[in-house]
Amino acid sequence: MAIIIQPYRPEHEPAVQEFNRRLQAAGDPDLVFSHSSIPRWLAPGGTNSVWNEFFVAVEGSAVRGAYGLKQEMVFVGGRGMHRVACYHHPLSEGIIDRTYASVGALLARDALARQPLLYALGMGGSDRPIARMLKALGFSLTAIPFYFRVVHPRKFLLEMQALRNQHWRAILMNIAAATGTGWLAIKSAQAASGLRVRRPDFAAEEITEFSDWADVLWNRASTTVSMAAMRDANTLRLLYRPEVTSIKRIRVSRNGTAAGWAIVGLRRKDQKFGRMRVGSIVDCWASPEDMRAVVAAATGTLEKEGVDLIVSNQSHQSWTSAFENSGFLKGPSTFIFAASRKLTELLQPFEQNRMLFHITRADGDGLPANF
Amino acid sequence: MSAVFDQIRAMAADLFGVPAASIDTSSSPQTIENWDSIQHLNLVLAIEERFGVQLSPEEIEQMKSVGETVKLVESRLQAAPR
Repeated sequence: MAIIIQPYRPEHEPAVQEFNRRLQAAGDPDLVFSHSSIPRWLAPGGTNSVWNEFFVAVEGSAVRGAYGLKQEMVFVGGRGMHRVACYHHPLSEGIIDRTYASVGALLARDALARQPLLYALGMGGSDRPIARMLKALGFSLTAIPFYFRVVHPRKFLLEMQALRNQHWRAILMNIAAATGTGWLAIKSAQAASGLRVRRPDFAAEEITEFSDWADVLWNRASTTVSMAAMRDANTLRLLYRPEVTSIKRIRVSRNGTAAGWAIVGLRRKDQKFGRMRVGSIVDCWASPEDMRAVVAAATGTLEKEGVDLIVSNQSHQSWTSAFENSGFLKGPSTFIFAASRKLTELLQPFEQNRMLFHITRADGDGLPANF
Repeated sequence: MSAVFDQIRAMAADLFGVPAASIDTSSSPQTIENWDSIQHLNLVLAIEERFGVQLSPEEIEQMKSVGETVKLVESRLQAAPR
């Protein structure tokens, strides 16, 4: 029986639940597609500039695959605004049954047919199946740099499971944590890479909603990027709805005038971070001269929340400098940006322009909880 | 066996990392360990490039074995204007 990809509708929901049950039997709890055909985050509607839509691959009465598209407006330097989509949560029955090995290709090609200006973000590394598939389809892949700042070195040394995966290394880290040598080494490295800005003309406050001042910042700072998903006040109100309490919205002003903003939050528990409380600088926006003040405000807010470690992914060279000059260290990144052929053409010269892409954990499908 | 079969068998052997002699018309994702969703896509792309055809979603889904893939490509080549 033929497999047909179509918009996910309420009548597909029981078949999606069956599909999820079959995938879950494979043992990976992350293999689950939305139970609801209406996206809980960014449901389509009205004149929204950004929304999510879901598609399912249907064979008779069974669902054999599914994926999501996050439709959004993206500013491209010198080329204006374009509607672009993020390809996310592709799941295929082929994971558990090779009879359906073709479904992965069908999903990716269907997404490209619906929106040739397509990208994917995250994926857990360029060696992962989705990233490899997109590469085969001609996508350009680039890693978005990862930054971290250790707030409590002793806990970091004891809990950082990703660094403790070899027995001898775990022993050395225990010694370093117990003797204080690890604390000294981390603090020295962070101090050497810069101190946080403390200027009396900057002030930070937590806000509940974005308003007109964010439009001014969007218009001003978008001239310094080669690509950024729209972050005007309207879009920010959709992305960071006032009722979402898992994040904090920080407005930074200079001499009383808005200079930038940041979104911070506590990351979900993750085995690789052990029992650490991990804060994330999820998103940020400012002109280059105000970026360090924004990083300082975001860092200060998370430190007051009692986090042990602060992490962020940043692609724009001015932001990476601001993080490095604010005591953040660069770590290996598995956060991959993959642009379709058509999107790559739009972003030419890609290799040169990618240093000025503004991509953070807030892009793609990371919000509202997976940052 | 046809020339199309020989060419597809050679492609499949290269993509899936198995000897060409071990591939016959009944070979499928169930019988070839490395025939996963990524290699399926690579096979689609290789066929499109080699034979100058664009496969539709329905055709991609029909490629359940080497034999069915050969039949599909042969029918496309016969239907193509000369």
